[in-house]
Amino acid sequence: MAYSDRVIDHYNNPRNVGTLDKASTEVGTGLVGAPECGDVMRLQIRVNPETQVIEEAKFKTFGCGSAIASSSLATEWIKGRTVEDALGIKNTDIVKELSLPPVKIHCSVLAEDAIRAAIGDWKKKNSVAETAPAAVHTAQ
Amino acid sequence: MLKVIDSAVPIACWSCSVAHNDATLFCPHCSKIQPPTGGDYFSVFGIEPRLDLDLNALESEFHRLSRKLHPDRFARAGENEKQWSLADTALLNDAYRTLKDPITRTEYLLKLRGAEIAELHAGKDRKGQDDPSRVPADLLEEVFDLNMQLEEMRMARQAEETDVVLEASLTEAKKKFDGLLNAVNKDLRAQWKVWDEGDATARQAAQSTMVKLLDRRRYLSNLVRDVTETLGA
Repeated sequence: MAYSDRVIDHYNNPRNVGTLDKASTEVGTGLVGAPECGDVMRLQIRVNPETQVIEEAKFKTFGCGSAIASSSLATEWIKGRTVEDALGIKNTDIVKELSLPPVKIHCSVLAEDAIRAAIGDWKKKNSVAETAPAAVHTAQ
Repeated sequence: MLKVIDSAVPIACWSCSVAHNDATLFCPHCSKIQPPTGGDYFSVFGIEPRLDLDLNALESEFHRLSRKLHPDRFARAGENEKQWSLADTALLNDAYRTLKDPITRTEYLLKLRGAEIAELHAGKDRKGQDDPSRVPADLLEEVFDLNMQLEEMRMARQAEETDVVLEASLTEAKKKFDGLLNAVNKDLRAQWKVWDEGDATARQAAQSTMVKLLDRRRYLSNLVRDVTETLGA
C-alpha cells in the first residue's frame, strides 16, 4: 500500500509536535489508543478562557505514518477554532483530506477521538457543561 | 477464506459420485483428490474448531497431507487434479501456518465466530459505544511514557551518548512488560480451555474476553519489540 502525498508530507514535516503544560487549567489533554495496531496518540490544546478559541494545539503520536499524519492534520485544523467548532471535525474529513485507504481509516477515528478527549478534559477542568458523550473520558 | 461450508449439505465426489459431508481434501470413499473446500482451516485437518491443539499431531498430519497432495504425484493425472493438488497444497499451507501459532489461531477462530477483532472493527464508527478505546487508561499512559523514554534513548544513541539511568529504566520496563505479556498469554490459555469445553454461553463470554486480551497483547508485544530493539541497537 502506498501512502498518499499528503500523508507523506505530514509524516516528513509533522505540524505542531510537542507538549503543553498538562497542569494548566487552559490546557486539555487527550490520550487515546488504537488497539488494532497498538498506536498511541496524545493531543493537547490550549484554550483562551475569554474567547474559547483553541490558540495552540500540540500532538505526539507513536504509530504508523497515517496515524502521525492524521494527528498532525487534526492539530492544524483545530487551531484558531472555538472548542464547539472543533468538535464538528469528523474523521471522514480527515480521510478525505489525506486520501486514507480503508485499512487506515481507524487512524482518522483515533485523531477524532483525540480531539474529543482533549476538549473533554479541558471542559472537565473548567467545569463547562458536557455536551460530548461521557464515554470520551475513558480514553484519557 | 472465512466462508464456512454448511456441512449438512453433502457434496458429491467428482470421481465416484458418492456424497460426502466432510470438507475433505480427499474423497473418503474412493480417496481421489477433491477441489479446495469452502470449509475452515480446522476442517482441512479433519478437526472441529478448538483452541488447545495437539501441535505434534497437527504437524504430522500436515506432513502426511503435504506428501499426499504433492504435485509430483499428479504428474500423470488429469488437468483438474493437477490444478487441485496445487490449490489444495496452498490451502493446506495457509491452514497450517495459521493454526500452528497460538495467537493467529486464536484470532482466526474469533474471526470465524464473528467476534470483532483487529481490522474487523477498524474504521467503524465507534461513537456511542461504551468504551471507544477498550484499553485501560493506565496501560495507555504507560505505553505512552515508555515510548517517550524509548525515543529519548534513541536520540541519545544518535548523539553517541549513553544514558545509564535511562538504559536501566528501560531494562526495568522491559522486564515488567515481558511479565505483563506472559500474564496475558496465560490468561488467553485459560480462556482457550473455557471455549473448548464450554457451551454456547460460555463460549460467547470467552470470545469477548479473548478479544480484549488480544487488544492488550498487541500494545504489549509492540512495546516489548521496540524496547528490545532499542536496547539491542
